[in-house]
Amino acid sequence: MRRLFKMPPQLFRIFLLAVGIVGAYSVARYFLTPPSFGEYGWYRGAALAELATRDQVYAGKKACEECHSDEYQKLLKHEHKGLACESCHGPGEAHSNDPRKDNIDRSSFAACVRCHEANPSRPKWHKQIVIKNHYSGKCTDCHVPHSPSEVP
Amino acid sequence: MNKPVSRRSLLGKIGAAVAGVLAAPAAKAAKAVVQRVLVTAEAPKGYDPTQHKWVMAIDANRCIGCGFCAEACKKENHVPEGPYFRTWVERYIITKPKPGSSAARGETLVDCPNGGINGYPEAPVPKEDIQHSFFVPKLCNLCQHSPCTQVCPVGATFDAPDGAVLIDPTYCIGCGFCIQACPYGCRFLSPVTKTAEKCTLCYHRITRGLKPACVEVCPTQARIFGDLKHPVPDDPIQQFYQNNLVEALKPHLGTEPRVFYAGIDKEVR
Repeated sequence: MRRLFKMPPQLFRIFLLAVGIVGAYSVARYFLTPPSFGEYGWYRGAALAELATRDQVYAGKKACEECHSDEYQKLLKHEHKGLACESCHGPGEAHSNDPRKDNIDRSSFAACVRCHEANPSRPKWHKQIVIKNHYSGKCTDCHVPHSPSEVP
Repeated sequence: MNKPVSRRSLLGKIGAAVAGVLAAPAAKAAKAVVQRVLVTAEAPKGYDPTQHKWVMAIDANRCIGCGFCAEACKKENHVPEGPYFRTWVERYIITKPKPGSSAARGETLVDCPNGGINGYPEAPVPKEDIQHSFFVPKLCNLCQHSPCTQVCPVGATFDAPDGAVLIDPTYCIGCGFCIQACPYGCRFLSPVTKTAEKCTLCYHRITRGLKPACVEVCPTQARIFGDLKHPVPDDPIQQFYQNNLVEALKPHLGTEPRVFYAGIDKEVR
C-alpha cells in the first residue's frame, strides 16, 4: 500500500483519517436522510403530509348545511348571507361529528354587538348602532339573526 | 508471467464478491429499520401540492374589526394563550392635525388589543379628533422571496410548491432566526412546542378542500382565498384583482408578497 501511493507515512495517516471521516459522514447521511427529503425541494416532503393530518375544529358551511339546510337557505335570502354559520355559532366540528345541543354555541348575543356596536374605525357602509341609546333588552326581541330584515 | 492462483486467494475473492453483492440489500434493510424508528409520517395521499397555488387577498374596505378571524385562527390551530397570533387585526387611527399646524395629518395610532380576538373597544381618541380610521387584518404574506426561509440554519422552513410557507416542526430547533427575519412579524416561538410557528394557511383544511378558518368565519368577505392554478367560475380572487387597485406590504424590501391588500393607507406597514 505504502509503495502504491508513494506517500510519506505522516501524510498517509492524515489521508486515512480523512477517508475515515468522509466515510463515516457518508454512512450516517445514507442512514439518516429521510426518504422524502428532496421530494419537492431541499426539505422533508413528508412534512407537508404531517401538517395536513391535523384535526380541524371548524367544520365549514357545507357540514352545517347537511342537517340545517332550512336555516341555511333562509340565511342566504337575507343580509346575513355572507356570514358563515360558525361566525356566530363558534367552531362546529365536534357538533357535526356528534350532534348534541350542548356542544355548539346557541346564544350568540355577543356576536351581534361585536359587529354592530358603533365604532369610528368601522367602514361607513356597515350598519352600526350605539347600544346604550338603542335598546336595553335582547337583540332577538326585535331582530331575527337568520333573517335580519324580518320583524317577528 | 502468470502466477498460480491459490485456492485460498480464489475463495477469498469469491467470498468478497458475494459479500459485496449482499451488502447493498442488507444496507437498504438496515436503513429501512433506522428510518422506521426516526420517521413516523407516511407519504402525502390524495393531495398533490404541485397542482395548486394558494393565495389570500385582504380587502381592508370591508373589514369591520370584529376579530372573528383572529379568534377562529387561535381555536383552529391551537395557538397558545397569550400574545401569540398566526393572524390578527390591527386598528389604525390617523388623527386630525393640530389646529394652526400646517401638517396634512396628525399622529398615527396603531393598536391591537389581544390581536383583536375579543373585538375592538372604543377608540382611544374622541371621534371628533379622528381624521381617518380603519382595520387591517394581518397574516403571513406568503413572500416569493421569503427572508424567513433564507435564514433557517437547519432547513426546517420552506416554500411549499403550493404557495404556503411552512415549518417542519421535527426539524425546527427553535433558534428564532426566522422570527427576526420576518419583516411582517408573522412568526413566534411557541412556548408549548419551543419551535417557531406561523400561519400555515390552515394547511390541514385547504388540503381537504375547505377554506382557512379565518376566511370561513369572516362575515364581510374581507379575506379572500383562492387557487391560482384552478380558477373557479366568478373566482373571488380574480374578481378581487380586477376590481381593486392592489398593493403589498413593505414592497421596498423585495420580498414580493403574494398576499395583496386593497384599501390600505400609506401608514400601514
